[in-house]
Amino acid sequence: MIADTATVHFLLEDLLVQAPVGTSLQVIADAAGADITFGCRNGSCGTCRVRVTQGLEHCSDMGAEERDFLKGLCVSEDERLACQVSVLGDIEVDYLGL
Amino acid sequence: MPTLTDLMRERVLLLDGGMGTQILANNPTVEDFGGKLADGCMELLNERRPEWIRAIHANYFDAGADAVETNTFGANEVVLGEFGLAHRTREMNTIAARLAKEVALNYDAPKFVIGSVGPGTKLLSLGQIEAAALYHSYHQQMLGLLEGGADAILIETCQDLGQMKTATRAAQAAMAELKIQIPIWVQATVETSGTLLVGTDIASVLTTMERLGISVLGMNCATGPDEMHAHLAHLAENSPLPISCLPNAGLPANVGGQVVYPLGPEAFAERVIHAAKEFGLNIIGGCCGTTPAHIKVLAGRLGELHARPRQGNAERSVSSLYQSVALHQEPAPLIVGERTNANGSKKFRDLLALEDYDGLVGIARDQQREGAHMLDVCTAYVGRDEVRDMEQFLKRAITQTTLPLMIDSTEVNVIERALELAPGKCVVNSINFEDGEGKARKILDLCRDYGAAVVALTIDETGMAKTCAQKVAVAKRLYDLVVGEYGFPPSDLIIDPLTFTLGSGDEEFRRSAVETLEAIREIKAKFPGVLTILGVSNVSFGLNPGTRHVLNALMLYHAVQAGLDLAIFNSSKVLPVAKIPADERRMVEDLIFDRRAENYDPLKIVMATFSAGRGVMTTKLDVTHLSTEARLQADIIDGEKGAILGHVDDALLAFEPLHIINQVLLPAMKIVGDRFGAGEMQLPFVLESAEAMKAAIARIEPHLPKDANTKKGRILLATVKGDVHDIGKNLVDIILTNNGFEVKNLGIKQPIEDILKALEAWPADAIGLSGLLVKSTVVMRENLMLMKDENHQIPVILGGAALTRDYVEKDCRSVYSGPVLYAADAFEGLTQLRAISEGRVKDLMAAAASPSEASGIKVLRKGGSSVPLTPEGQSSWVRREPEPPTPPFWGVREGSHPLPELFDFLDEFALLRNRWGFTQGLLSNEAFEATLRDKAVPVLARWKARLLGEAVLRPRASYGYFPACSRGDALLVYAPDMVPSVPPDQRRIVARLPFPRQATGRRLCIADFFRPESSGQLDVLAMQVVTLGQEAADFAAKLYKADAYSDYFYFHGLATELTEAYAERLHAQVRRELGIHHRDSENRRQLFSQGYQGSRFSYGYPACPELEGNGPILDLLGGSRLGIRMTDSFQMDPEYTTSALVAWHPQARYFAV
Repeated sequence: MIADTATVHFLLEDLLVQAPVGTSLQVIADAAGADITFGCRNGSCGTCRVRVTQGLEHCSDMGAEERDFLKGLCVSEDERLACQVSVLGDIEVDYLGL
Repeated sequence: MPTLTDLMRERVLLLDGGMGTQILANNPTVEDFGGKLADGCMELLNERRPEWIRAIHANYFDAGADAVETNTFGANEVVLGEFGLAHRTREMNTIAARLAKEVALNYDAPKFVIGSVGPGTKLLSLGQIEAAALYHSYHQQMLGLLEGGADAILIETCQDLGQMKTATRAAQAAMAELKIQIPIWVQATVETSGTLLVGTDIASVLTTMERLGISVLGMNCATGPDEMHAHLAHLAENSPLPISCLPNAGLPANVGGQVVYPLGPEAFAERVIHAAKEFGLNIIGGCCGTTPAHIKVLAGRLGELHARPRQGNAERSVSSLYQSVALHQEPAPLIVGERTNANGSKKFRDLLALEDYDGLVGIARDQQREGAHMLDVCTAYVGRDEVRDMEQFLKRAITQTTLPLMIDSTEVNVIERALELAPGKCVVNSINFEDGEGKARKILDLCRDYGAAVVALTIDETGMAKTCAQKVAVAKRLYDLVVGEYGFPPSDLIIDPLTFTLGSGDEEFRRSAVETLEAIREIKAKFPGVLTILGVSNVSFGLNPGTRHVLNALMLYHAVQAGLDLAIFNSSKVLPVAKIPADERRMVEDLIFDRRAENYDPLKIVMATFSAGRGVMTTKLDVTHLSTEARLQADIIDGEKGAILGHVDDALLAFEPLHIINQVLLPAMKIVGDRFGAGEMQLPFVLESAEAMKAAIARIEPHLPKDANTKKGRILLATVKGDVHDIGKNLVDIILTNNGFEVKNLGIKQPIEDILKALEAWPADAIGLSGLLVKSTVVMRENLMLMKDENHQIPVILGGAALTRDYVEKDCRSVYSGPVLYAADAFEGLTQLRAISEGRVKDLMAAAASPSEASGIKVLRKGGSSVPLTPEGQSSWVRREPEPPTPPFWGVREGSHPLPELFDFLDEFALLRNRWGFTQGLLSNEAFEATLRDKAVPVLARWKARLLGEAVLRPRASYGYFPACSRGDALLVYAPDMVPSVPPDQRRIVARLPFPRQATGRRLCIADFFRPESSGQLDVLAMQVVTLGQEAADFAAKLYKADAYSDYFYFHGLATELTEAYAERLHAQVRRELGIHHRDSENRRQLFSQGYQGSRFSYGYPACPELEGNGPILDLLGGSRLGIRMTDSFQMDPEYTTSALVAWHPQARYFAV
């Protein structure tokens, strides 16, 4: 049974948001006023990098752009670009642009 | 007694300061110079007024200098000749060196004499003097300095690579003759432009000089210490040689007709010591404007410095007069253009026969444009004078092309003359052992003397090596001679394992490609560092053009796979392997790898398959079997703007013109649009299709009936008021026009009143409004309100980066009386325009009313309240840092940086993926990689070469450091002469910059990253602005006007990213100058995502979205001097311009308000 809503926990400001499964993390962050900065919003600038501390498996698979971008950056596997992630289940994220 | 070299190993060496001003302080008269003829000949004073010179040397030694330079800056034949003293050159140098030596011997401590050798008055590389004359002029000087007892030769204030090489050779020869060995030091002079006088960058200087047996490579003159940083940094990072640095006492200013150098002894020493620590300098001293007082302060601080051994990690490179090019290219191979070769190009031969040397240079420039990295030059043509032809060609080519040269000749005298003329580091092509080692040695001697790399063929006394084993055996012998005996670095040996044609069908050569490929692999494995080269197109010699094209491409592909480093190739004919149909590829690979079987000979099949004369694109071979209509469609989809013309002509014989447009071409464009929408096709390819469409329509138009209406509908396009962004709207224009619509493109910054006036004169079916700025979304809504007031009903399509579907379908639709539609890209705009012109707009409006993306989002908990504010009203999340860094100067500096430095900071990922739209979409990983490798990367290489070759960009920059502090949400910026030590009540505020603050969370504001006024201390604010110049904007406009759609698109994207690269480059310099660069990421991609301390904030971005802030930056940095203006919507014009505020605070990062 798949829940039709998911929660996103933004650690920096302890912000907990509920959204329909499949919603883009960028839309959720914008709508809830989370303290995450977005740059190009299409996966080529890296401003919105986050660490997914819980529920990495609930993030949509990486597309080619995000995969190649993060590969070039040599970062650990739990890092994602917030603008490229759709939320498929509960997750907890920490913004890395500090 | 220790030698100079011993001393340098122990510690940093201190040289003297300026000589000329010290001499002039004696107020020399005509009498001192011995008469009118010799008036001003400073070197004559060594004998006429020795007491003056002795005193100057002694003053510098007393001040603490370890060594002084002889008063021989102009003591060469060319300069002395102007005083009628050329014949005394050798003697005068001996006198000068002896004089200095006498003074040095008065001291107990070891003191040394450095023979100063100046640049003279004539530039070799610009053809102002013959090489032989210049060589003789220096040779005499060197002999004299050696005889006078100099401890080292310093070839200084060098402005020309040709002169540097010639003087160095003269010094080597003089030492060999007199059997005296002393170190040769060389110092280049980099102007404020960032290059040597003739345009050479420091990388090219290093590449050229490194192999010439010199002991020190450094810099002197032209600027003060600070301006040398970028170049010293390059040397520090790449040069294996000790570095010297003898700057002027700052940038000279003209005060009341007098040249004044601004840096006093303390300030000068502070900066030199800073640079010495930063870059690990081995020798320091002064040039113009420095005095014994300057040297004395330096001497007092020498104890702070430690001699650091140098470990150069210079990539092996070759160089031209302008730039250095790495021999190892990523992706491989380095392409050596093969058409400036009398053996390889009929056109070159024909022009040679006509003695059209400018035409020959044209061929060189063409290859540069097409992406060659180096030029193979061969003027051997039976019946002509090869030396003279080489001279005539090179004299033009060395200044008119920027590529390094491969000198291709079998004649020793031709090679020697070419090496004498070519200023950079060349490659000599080639040596072999056909007639034993004698000739090879002669050529290697030249390569050593001129610091050239060498191509070596696997040919020995028994002939050309045909098997892998033979090739490797000859390679071993070549390696032993060149690397073992001659001591060349392995990568200056480039082995050519030979290619033979597969076209003859001779049994002997059937396996020749396999042997060559295996030999490449073995040579790379057995001789680490050695490079390989192939004349790839030999493999297909004698076959028809269609076959050659495919065979060459696949041979190149497999050679690179085997490890090939350089390929001699026609750069315009690189066929992407991915474009070769699979069955053709298999067939040709069977030929290369000699996979014959019973009743199967790939050579016969290949020869039968490829018809003669069809040499351009193999995919066309398939097309020949198609119907005329299908062929045209394939041309559109493949973007074949050349080939389509012939096919249109064929089609016109069989079909009505209207049928061709409506039933054939437009449906093909529809397929293109669908493929783009589905992620199967990328934007650059779409634009190539549009170019093919444009060409086809232009071909058909004269055949259309006079009253034919081919147009599907009409639309007015404009970028809204206050917005200068052109490209999005122009892409829409291109797509709509080439899909059968009539478009009137009104341009940028269009007030709605003007748009409506245009509509009256040119009734259309719809209006399209575009704009990139957030502000423009507001303008669009206001425009719609005004249109409603005037009772307009015409459908309006909105597009632009800052728009969202929600905003258009809710906020904009509600204020207007007619239909309002959102278009995410040009193709969605096309769909909507189609619907409008077919009267289906109502369906579209209904279908478009989709639920908001953001619906269903609910905040469940907003944890811990916001971060509290400090008493100053600032975020308490930001720490107070102990001390702000000290900038090297206060105030503003202007400069320009050469393009290669911008390329160095180019974010190629953002360019290719984002700007150019090469995204994977639905392509497989392999297909996408092939697209990047075979299309995107070569396009970028070609554009880089083109921009280096044509003066399209004019990069200029201004940046500065200002004392500043924060007051609440604003920054107070003080006049730069109000350095932090000036008491607060005397400080003058030149700008107050307000910033927005985050309402919740960390509650950040840019001002928080600077010390508050209440601290009583000032902080440092850096500002910068960079531009590629009006020239760049004009060039983009020119491409668009010429319907060169894909070029326009590529150029715009590249220029936009280069502007960003320039900002990144300057920001890196600011961090270095502030001493906060230690946290700069080594990985470029990390660096581009803020991989450094501090942050660079540009107006218009999330932390400071209001563009108004550009005004004060431009005012303070003197933007108008760079030709930068502000539009009434506060955007900077010309387009490729960007400005920023730089915060050094470690917690300063991007944030959104």
